[in-house]
Amino acid sequence: MAKRPGGELATRPLHFIWICDCSGSMSVDGKIQALNNAIREALPHMAKVADENPNAEVLVRAVKFSSGATWHVSQPTPVAAFKWTDLATEGETAMGKALSLVAEQMQIPPMSDRALPPVLVLLSDGQPTDDFAAGLRALMDLPWGKKAVRVSIAIGQDADLDVLQKFIGHTERKPLQANRPEDLVRCIKWVSTAVLTAASRPASQVKGAAPLADNVPIPAPPAMAAPPSGAVQGGNVCRIHGEPEPCKICVW
Amino acid sequence: MDQLLQDGQEVHLVASGISCVVERLLGAGGQGEVYEARLESRPVALKWYYSQAPDKDRQQAEVLMSLIKRGAPDKRFLWPMDLATCGDPPGFGYVMPLRESRFHSIVDLMKSRVDPSIRALATAGFDLAESYLNLHSHGLCYRDISFGNAFLDPDSGDVRICDCDNVTVNGDTNVSVLGTPRFMAPEIVRGDAYPSTQTDLWSLAVLLFYFFHTGHPLEGQMEANIKCLDLKAMNWLYGDKPVFVFDPQDASNRPVPGYHDSVLQSWPTYPLFLRNLFTKAFTDGVRDPQNGRVRESEWRQAMIRLRDSILLCGGCKAENFYDVDAMKASGGQAPPCWSCKAQLRLPFRMKIGSSIVMLNYDTKLYPHHIDDSKLYDFSVPAAEITRHPSDPKVWGLKNLTQEKWVSTGPDGTVKDVPPGRSVTLASGTKVNFGKNQAEIRY
Ligand SMILES: Nc1ncnc2c1ncn2[C@@H]1O[C@H](COP(=O)(O)OP(=O)(O)OP(=O)(O)O)[C@@H](O)[C@H]1O
Ligand SMILES: [Mg+2]
Ligand SMILES: [Zn+2]
Repeated sequence: MAKRPGGELATRPLHFIWICDCSGSMSVDGKIQALNNAIREALPHMAKVADENPNAEVLVRAVKFSSGATWHVSQPTPVAAFKWTDLATEGETAMGKALSLVAEQMQIPPMSDRALPPVLVLLSDGQPTDDFAAGLRALMDLPWGKKAVRVSIAIGQDADLDVLQKFIGHTERKPLQANRPEDLVRCIKWVSTAVLTAASRPASQVKGAAPLADNVPIPAPPAMAAPPSGAVQGGNVCRIHGEPEPCKICVW
Repeated sequence: MDQLLQDGQEVHLVASGISCVVERLLGAGGQGEVYEARLESRPVALKWYYSQAPDKDRQQAEVLMSLIKRGAPDKRFLWPMDLATCGDPPGFGYVMPLRESRFHSIVDLMKSRVDPSIRALATAGFDLAESYLNLHSHGLCYRDISFGNAFLDPDSGDVRICDCDNVTVNGDTNVSVLGTPRFMAPEIVRGDAYPSTQTDLWSLAVLLFYFFHTGHPLEGQMEANIKCLDLKAMNWLYGDKPVFVFDPQDASNRPVPGYHDSVLQSWPTYPLFLRNLFTKAFTDGVRDPQNGRVRESEWRQAMIRLRDSILLCGGCKAENFYDVDAMKASGGQAPPCWSCKAQLRLPFRMKIGSSIVMLNYDTKLYPHHIDDSKLYDFSVPAAEITRHPSDPKVWGLKNLTQEKWVSTGPDGTVKDVPPGRSVTLASGTKVNFGKNQAEIRY
């Protein structure tokens, strides 16, 4: 028997969709393995963030694209129950087809008419080989496509930053560039925790701040290629007292 | 994965000159990571900041140093105790008391992962109000009252408040933290004000509304109509058009069945005095941020009154309330139990000054009940309800103090009630506690 009148806090769905490049080039240099690993690495952190969020019901899906595009995880799945099956590579880069597939799911229905902004994450190491523009248009023609927080991650140096930027839809945020497996882990952890949180609990803006290009403010992305230990930004100066390190006021 | 400090690593405490050993990562937030650490043999919590621009770091360190020097305004704040530094990696943080495992986040309450009694919740509400009262009376402002920063013990209703590193002197506009969405006062959401004691009062009212109703005071029809709840929509809902869901003058934002069921169910079960206070907080409190908001001392009093008005259903034992106003309106009839719908029967009750305390089988009285000049303290009961050892039909009020009480029966006979003894509950009996005088009614 409930001890108190009322029930659980009402939530809104927050759809989170991975859109993953599985083209042949992803098999080079262990990129697909790094991607599989980075997503596995991020899932427990994502589950924790979702668990601590009382306002959102986080539901995850994944699309993969190569010569065609298909749902890798088709059912919107609560993060705690989300299982990752490793992606394998083959063929070309049907990124446009992948976006059309996502667009189908951004229509109402199957989308509910009340939700938090969806988060769409596009990961790719190359150039689309199909009609990217048509796929993007299909997505951006839909209200939920426009409202979605769109993040893109360039895997390696050969990714087409131009299309990844077009996916974001404005130039105030850049695609994230993951040139090393550690960077990919950081990027993926960041989208699945910090961006996820921002989509349901956007940080408020101080008065006079420039209007947002996104419909929720996105926190600063993680620093890539961590600086060697000791060389923190601002130089070798005590962060409390501004004295040169070792600071004589801190440690004596 | 990546963590700023390594387990086993030592950091140096600036004021005390001793060092403290990192034991394990507890969690991370927007500003840094929190570790469990050992200070000599004592477990403490250590917060370590992500690096920011040097001037921001220095500003944060200055805020911390002044908080440390000042000391905690109330023991329920997990207040910074000492600044911590380390050469490698360079950086800083602070140590504070470690939150014990009996405390749960408010998120657990919202997701029904803990199930406190209403008495425990009222106690937690009291504790929160008193903690912020003490903070504010020192001229400080908290800025970020929200789900993530308050914790409660679902059994006792004790609370702890963490994340005190944004606390500053009221009126300081030099700090970047504006608050958490859904908890910020409308004038902050609109960009018309910075956090202050007055905006803390708004956030406290929101948190208390969530406590009892598991919903937001401004989320009704207007929220239901919003399709995509993004920043623009939130600024409109919580900033530009804040309408209380039970605003007596404006019915445009009532809770919607199917979307806001919890609030719809719980609101009518609480006594009118509490509903009136919430109504004031979210109507006058919107119109007049300076003078319209409910003060912590008013919440504190309301929480005490709520505790005192709890009456247990004879059938299902659910906590209900004695609501004088509602009973007057229905010709003296008690309402049905909110849980099992059985007709409630009033227990013995006691009128002490202007307050009325329900005498349930498990009721206890505390120092403030028997002496107005005493502080609120729920750790030492002054009296409790007992059952007669040989006649189970007879109930009594047992004297748990060191002082003698005097009772006057309905027939005028006067008797001493020494410490450890009980006076039988009978309608019309008066008890003189020394300072306060009370009358038992049925
Ligand atoms: N004294 C403490 N004892 C135990 N756990 C703590 C303590 N202080 C903070 N924590 C936990 O550490 C984690 C991070 O803390 P906190 O939220 O204060 O960090 P933050 O960077 O200030 O975050 P925010 O951006 O929410 O202000 C949280 O899970 C919190 O519950
Ligand atoms: Mg903080
Ligand atoms: Zn009942």
